[in-house]
Amino acid sequence: MFQGLVAEPLLDGADFDYGEYLSGQCLTCHQSSSDEGIPAINGAEALYIAKKLILYKNKELENEVMQLVASALDKEQIASLAIYFNSLEK
Amino acid sequence: MNNLSRRSFVSLALASTSLLAMPAISTGSARPKVVVVGGGAGGATAARYIAKDSKGAIDVTLIEASKHYYTCFYSNLYLGGFREYDSIGHSYDNLSANHGVNVVHDWAISVDSSARKVRLGSGATVSYDRLVLSPGIDIKYDSIDGYSVEAQTKMPHAWKSGTQVKVLRDQVLNMPKGGTFAMVPPPNPYRCPPGPYERISMVAHILKEKNPTAKIVVIDPKNKFSKQGLFMAGWEKHYPGMVEWIDNDTHGGIKNVNPETMEIETDLDTFKADVACVVPAQRAGAIAMNAGVTDGDWSPIVPASMQTKADSNIYVLGDASVASAMPKSGFSANSQAKVAANHIRGELTDSRVFPAKFSNTCWSLVATNDGIKVGANYKAGDEKIEVVDKFVSKTDENNAKRKKTYEESIGWYNGITTDMFS
Ligand SMILES: Cc1cc2nc3c(=O)[nH]c(=O)nc-3n(C[C@H](O)[C@H](O)[C@H](O)COP(=O)(O)OP(=O)(O)OC[C@H]3O[C@@H](n4cnc5c(N)ncnc54)[C@H](O)[C@@H]3O)c2cc1C
Repeated sequence: MFQGLVAEPLLDGADFDYGEYLSGQCLTCHQSSSDEGIPAINGAEALYIAKKLILYKNKELENEVMQLVASALDKEQIASLAIYFNSLEK
Repeated sequence: MNNLSRRSFVSLALASTSLLAMPAISTGSARPKVVVVGGGAGGATAARYIAKDSKGAIDVTLIEASKHYYTCFYSNLYLGGFREYDSIGHSYDNLSANHGVNVVHDWAISVDSSARKVRLGSGATVSYDRLVLSPGIDIKYDSIDGYSVEAQTKMPHAWKSGTQVKVLRDQVLNMPKGGTFAMVPPPNPYRCPPGPYERISMVAHILKEKNPTAKIVVIDPKNKFSKQGLFMAGWEKHYPGMVEWIDNDTHGGIKNVNPETMEIETDLDTFKADVACVVPAQRAGAIAMNAGVTDGDWSPIVPASMQTKADSNIYVLGDASVASAMPKSGFSANSQAKVAANHIRGELTDSRVFPAKFSNTCWSLVATNDGIKVGANYKAGDEKIEVVDKFVSKTDENNAKRKKTYEESIGWYNGITTDMFS
């Protein structure tokens, strides 16, 4: 499903199981279906997720909670989260 | 994957030498058993994640006294009239229907940690390979002279899940015109550091609308509190002159409370209230004490796994644990539950164990569309859970930003309750 995407440098080192574990931190706030207050991210494009996380990490996107979460993620963790959320049903 | 490779050969070898000690695991004839006591922010999350992620390989039993869980989080918003009471109640049905968790509505009365059994109120016993305790807090009624179980109806604490907050709301709504609401916040450490101050904000919100000449006096056993600058600026902005906060140094200490005369006596003065919310000191839920995994009032844990220092088969989550830098919050309990769930699966089914990662954000509502927040990331140090990075809302934020913060908290509430109960 993400075979084609793994060639993408931003998704290098992606590890599905690790992504599943790390997703726990996101799911405290992000729901699968509703966008109320906090956007739903299930099924989003992997590259979109990775790029957003990098923007938060670099503090180029605003939101204290997301900046904090992203600042503690390395490249491999971001890639892992991206492919994991991409695999979930919308 | 590098350092996250499959569990080492050594741990496999160890598991197979403990045939006698862990028959359920090593014979292969029965699934390993996890018992979770307490279906709140920590326990419901742990039960759900262990069952969901092990895909049936682990037999999960959740023992919870109540049929419905009414969240303490957002109970202040119910108090302020921003939520219906029913909207903060949740059922356990999905945990069994969707993930096969065996939900038993009963009290866990005692733990026999050498036999690895939990005794229930019904007299039945449930055996476990790993036990998770997330019983929340017990109130130390004798920590304030004059307070007692009976005093709860006159001076409700409303600090545990349940209907006391309804009593409190009725009392506030029926307060005499120009009357006094007194709040006695708890001493450290306690569940939800910003909670008492959000509660004051919500009471002020009702009084401003319905009883604008009423006063709020806060008789604090502390000299400072969480998000103090933000709350005090908010009270001045939205409820000017209504809230008087008196710190411990000023009143000199709370000597006693009298539920009959509705008086609160301090060194400085005796305060007479029409309605009083008195929140005593707290400790870990009794079952943690009974299991022998507490030291003083709380349970020390190993930060990397949430196993108790006293017994590696027993994990303690949430308010009952000593999580050091992490506040006692629903968010924290939920975060700790995922670390424990991952560790327990690794121990029982040899699945991969990833490094512990913890986080917390506490949102509070000061007035309509005026939300504030404080949050941090944490890591497992050798001895303690340590802060990595943190943030707090600023006093000069504009209205649009505060409204957004409030809306974000609604997303969080829906998110965490889905993460616990879906
Ligand atoms: C007014 C208020 C506002 C709050 N606001 C927030 C907030 O905005 N955000 C936030 O993150 N946190 C908030 N909190 C804190 C939050 O409610 C707690 O930190 C959180 O619930 C702790 O989770 P827990 O699993 O440790 O305990 P709990 O959620 O209390 O769960 C414990 C459960 O165990 C059950 N239980 C206990 N002993 C036994 C036994 N022996 N047998 C069977 N069942 C048992 C209880 O019935 C209960 O359901 C607030 C708290 C209060 C009081």
